[in-house]
Amino acid sequence: MAERSFTEEVKKLRAGDGEVFKGEGILAITKALLQSGVSYVGGYQGSPISHLMDVLNDAQDILGDLGVHFEANGSEATAAAMLSASINYPLRGAVTWKSTVGTNVASDALSNLASSGVTGGAMVIVGEDYGEGSSIMQERSYAFAMKAQMWLLDPRPNLPSIVDMVEKGFELSEASNTPIFYMMRIRGCHVTGEFVARDNVAPAYHSQAPVTPNREPEKIILPPFVYAQEREKIAQRLPAAIRFVEEHALNEVFPGRYDSVGIITCGGSYNTVIRALQRQGLADIYGETDIPIYCLNVAYPLIPDELVQFCAGKEQVLVLEEGQPEYIEQGIQTVLRRQDVQTRVYGKDIMPMAGEYTGQVMLEGITRFIREASREDIPLKLSLEAVLGTETPVSHEDISRLMAELPPRPAGLCTGCPERPLFSAIKQLQEEMGPFHISSDIGCHSFATAAPFNLGNTIMGYGLSLASSSGMRHALPHKAISIMGDGGFWHNGLTSGVTSAVFNEHDGLLIVIDNGYSAATGGQDIPSLVEPNLIATTLDASQPKRDSWQTIEDACRGAGVKWIRTVSTYNIAAMKETLRSALTTDAPGLKVVVAEGECMLNRQRRVKPLIRQAVSEGRRVKRARFYIDPETCTGDHGCIRLSGCPSLTIRENPDPLRSDPVSYVDNSCVGCGVCGTNAHSAVLCPSFSRVELVDNPTAWDRLLNSTRVRIREWWRARDRKRMAQRQF
Amino acid sequence: MSRDDGTINMVIAALGGEGGGVLTNWLITAAERSGWWCQSTSLAGVAQRTGATIYYLEFMPRLNGMSPPVMSLFPAQGDIDIAVASEIAEAGRMISRGFISPDKSVLIASDHRVFGITEKSATGDGSVDRDLILEMGERYGRAFIHFDMSEIVQRHGTVISAALLGAIAGSGALPFEQSYFRDLLASGGSAEANLAAFDESFRRAQSGGVGEYVPPEIKAFSLPEASNALGERWLPRIADLPAALQEMAYHSVNRLIDYQDEAYAEEWLSRVSALMDRDLDRESYSLAQEAGRHLALWMAFEDIPRVAQLKVRPDRESMIRSEVKAAAGQPVAVAEFFHPRIEEVAALLPVSWGSALLRSQTAKRWLSRLLGPRTLRTDRVSMQVLLRGLASVRRFRRSTFGYAHERKMIDRWYDAVLSADGQDMAMAIAALGGMVKGYGETRYRTTSRLMQILDYLEHSCGSDPSTIASLHLAAMEPDSDFEPGEVVPSNLEPA
Repeated sequence: MAERSFTEEVKKLRAGDGEVFKGEGILAITKALLQSGVSYVGGYQGSPISHLMDVLNDAQDILGDLGVHFEANGSEATAAAMLSASINYPLRGAVTWKSTVGTNVASDALSNLASSGVTGGAMVIVGEDYGEGSSIMQERSYAFAMKAQMWLLDPRPNLPSIVDMVEKGFELSEASNTPIFYMMRIRGCHVTGEFVARDNVAPAYHSQAPVTPNREPEKIILPPFVYAQEREKIAQRLPAAIRFVEEHALNEVFPGRYDSVGIITCGGSYNTVIRALQRQGLADIYGETDIPIYCLNVAYPLIPDELVQFCAGKEQVLVLEEGQPEYIEQGIQTVLRRQDVQTRVYGKDIMPMAGEYTGQVMLEGITRFIREASREDIPLKLSLEAVLGTETPVSHEDISRLMAELPPRPAGLCTGCPERPLFSAIKQLQEEMGPFHISSDIGCHSFATAAPFNLGNTIMGYGLSLASSSGMRHALPHKAISIMGDGGFWHNGLTSGVTSAVFNEHDGLLIVIDNGYSAATGGQDIPSLVEPNLIATTLDASQPKRDSWQTIEDACRGAGVKWIRTVSTYNIAAMKETLRSALTTDAPGLKVVVAEGECMLNRQRRVKPLIRQAVSEGRRVKRARFYIDPETCTGDHGCIRLSGCPSLTIRENPDPLRSDPVSYVDNSCVGCGVCGTNAHSAVLCPSFSRVELVDNPTAWDRLLNSTRVRIREWWRARDRKRMAQRQF
Repeated sequence: MSRDDGTINMVIAALGGEGGGVLTNWLITAAERSGWWCQSTSLAGVAQRTGATIYYLEFMPRLNGMSPPVMSLFPAQGDIDIAVASEIAEAGRMISRGFISPDKSVLIASDHRVFGITEKSATGDGSVDRDLILEMGERYGRAFIHFDMSEIVQRHGTVISAALLGAIAGSGALPFEQSYFRDLLASGGSAEANLAAFDESFRRAQSGGVGEYVPPEIKAFSLPEASNALGERWLPRIADLPAALQEMAYHSVNRLIDYQDEAYAEEWLSRVSALMDRDLDRESYSLAQEAGRHLALWMAFEDIPRVAQLKVRPDRESMIRSEVKAAAGQPVAVAEFFHPRIEEVAALLPVSWGSALLRSQTAKRWLSRLLGPRTLRTDRVSMQVLLRGLASVRRFRRSTFGYAHERKMIDRWYDAVLSADGQDMAMAIAALGGMVKGYGETRYRTTSRLMQILDYLEHSCGSDPSTIASLHLAAMEPDSDFEPGEVVPSNLEPA
């Protein structure tokens, strides 16, 4: 069960001919897939295409009706391998993942797929996680498309274009027997808009209508066929692709009256280009432009004839291509030089080599282009100086004053995160045992590398923490420590990490954080998922587990791990002791600690309705939340340094003599109890208390309570009198 | 209106989990119902629950027969008509990023604070200057609409997105009927609370929200009339002090009488007058002020009797009940997390016994069985008896091991302040008193680091206020070791 449910939105996927479809880019792509008659879909979640997986997941009945097969793949490699179904048969298939990380994971299968070539259209929808809002290292998928000879679509970010290019993409893939990258940028994935829908198309082959098994040895990636496949890529597939792109005009030319200059842009950046031109008075809001634009909805391959045609008679063109190296610009230069077209090509010489082409960057770039090209005949609303001026109206002095004041907001663990108590325990252990070197991994637990925990030294990739500690372990003062999430464990960690470590007698500690589902990507299901999202050691009584449950502990034992413990993260004292013994034991081989605990926000979603119902039915219900005594809190914030819980915050000190703020638990507290447990295990202070409210108290509750209240009240009355004499 | 084509560009800065997405969807629907084009996009990124998230929307009237417009997916500097922030520091971030243009941008923000982790985890006060951001909002926004929306939504029991929508609608920056927004909320979940928050926020935005930022004025302190014998004795004496010191003295004396007795307060007052004589700042007596405040706090150090005393305060129960929103007569159980250590117990014993206990391993082992983590139900009568018993031990405080220990440290610091040469030097040392904080390990760390600094000052010649300041700063870093010699430049090393 994903964090966000699309059950409402997916109903739109049934829209038929002529209906206007409104929604997010991601949803539009799903609809386009159905309109293209895909036979199978799969992928692996990750921003910015997590929601595509969620949508497919929630759309299973619709997919089922059409006979479309869906799999939530174990990794991007699994997803890529799925596409082999299109090698021998006219089955259209699409998979999706976050790129470039996912593409890297999938690369083996992708290269082989690209070499074999496809009969049915095969499409990889890559969420290009580049620029502001990205969560990974900055690289381009473009390089992979070039080296493996896969075509790369980069459509204009409006819903009609997005949908159209999916459908055309499949045709292109089939016309050129080549798998295709369909690139969506972060903002494009989340852009909202509308398009006119068409009926969904059921695939020709499915469980009711199976294919006839068909062997084509020449498509197997073994010698001698691989040499033939390499030649075929150039001799047949590339020309076929170029022909198709030209005939169906996948790239667009927007003429303009200043036809001796031009702009060549990738589809994904088109809207930003138009906006920059608008602000310079060279285009209107409907995209009517004075500067001719050649828009590459197909970013790879380049179409030589179209390029020559566009550049012929132009003195200067500007190439707008995000990121580095400037593959497209180089390609264009090659085409023009070969054809001896003398148009001056501007590109990375005046545009930033690295980083996103934001509105400001684009406005600056195009303005600089007009000036460099010294086209006084083209009037600009804003001079370059004026444009640079718009970068910020704020004075230098104010900027520095602001910068000094603005708090950084690193992504952090949610309120009631089951991972928090684990890192509290590790931090306390570090206090006792000295500084740790920790190999971290991808997932929410990556945030432990930031304040307040500051735990973790390297992140090498999804599920690779254990593997990445193996070169380090002989040179560490303590047993190597690796932390991995359950997502990473199933994605890669079991094979690349655990089996290899056992085989190499890795005498280190692996902590696998098991919260029952993949958290960072938005709560998708994983093999060790427990239904309902509920771990044996959650705060509640244990509940039936999913019968098809694949446990991390069993998997590790199967891989040969002898020393393995499962501990609730919420039991900080027990966790500390288990970790200590793992780091000090003489037992040989890999030590695995499965740190399990349920996400408290998930628990809230689950139990809140139940509690509300119980209360309304008049049953006795206890609710707990935490409280910090402002009178005993001295404002040293040791509790926050061990927690970083969003609901554990600060507020003005009520004590007239104290100036530093006191710690304070706000109303978002979900009562997970970590701050109290920390107060105990770290010997913090006597300011924490768990306050339990009883709804629908029994007669006994009331009697007991009223008696206590009466006695306390008698004391209080006496105290008040005394204090009146002891204070003035 | 941004360009002649009548588009309106809007950027929304929220924090993960605040419902920025919901707010965006409301705006989209309102726009569609008003016959406008609306394109939105967002950067959820790795927002989780604490990171900053950005939403960007563009609006434009639908004209008959015209094709859909080409709208940008990027907020651009100098091209923002409406900027919305769910928290004041995020408004500051938008100003710093250049999104707020004095000639066109309406800035709408809830001016409450959601503290960042670096602000919260500082050992002292690391929170940022809210007023600075408010002042800049006034200067850089075409209009600046700000009020505490968090307080509004908490009162109505809903989330900030509802109040933000109200503020946006109330600002009139979007040409959509108020009814469109209200209908949206009315048809959604928890409609009542959302509408209530929306309406109040709408009104505030239309009237009070807009307008000049008035810096908060500090109300002057005046001594109360004597209401009992104690007041008769003390108020005149405090009134004789310089005006600048009266508030601090009033609170300090009350605290120390409550903590121990009048003699204890006497002691404090005599020390403060000694500080006053030595104070070169005859206007505001800044030295006596700073040192006196820390002295009072330290003299009322938190030992077991003190904590027990605070835990049975008459007004405490009502404070808790209101904080957790307990209904009248609803049973409330309070389980407190205590972790008494040998050290705290030893502190309660007569000097000789206390030090003996800390030396004797057997006694420690025996006692540690009784101590350690305890969760005590202080609403129970038995616990009240225990706490009151412990609180009453304060009568014998002066003869305890803990008192002697604290007293030695206090005197050392106090003498260092008095014997410091020059006002600035004295001020810097006085400020060190603020280091004394926390319980258990934290308390040990802060006090022993303070003593380390005093040691250093004794043995080093020619240290100056800035040296002490840098030592002070370094000592407040909890997660790093502290070695005075390494903090200060070598030329200040002991000769």
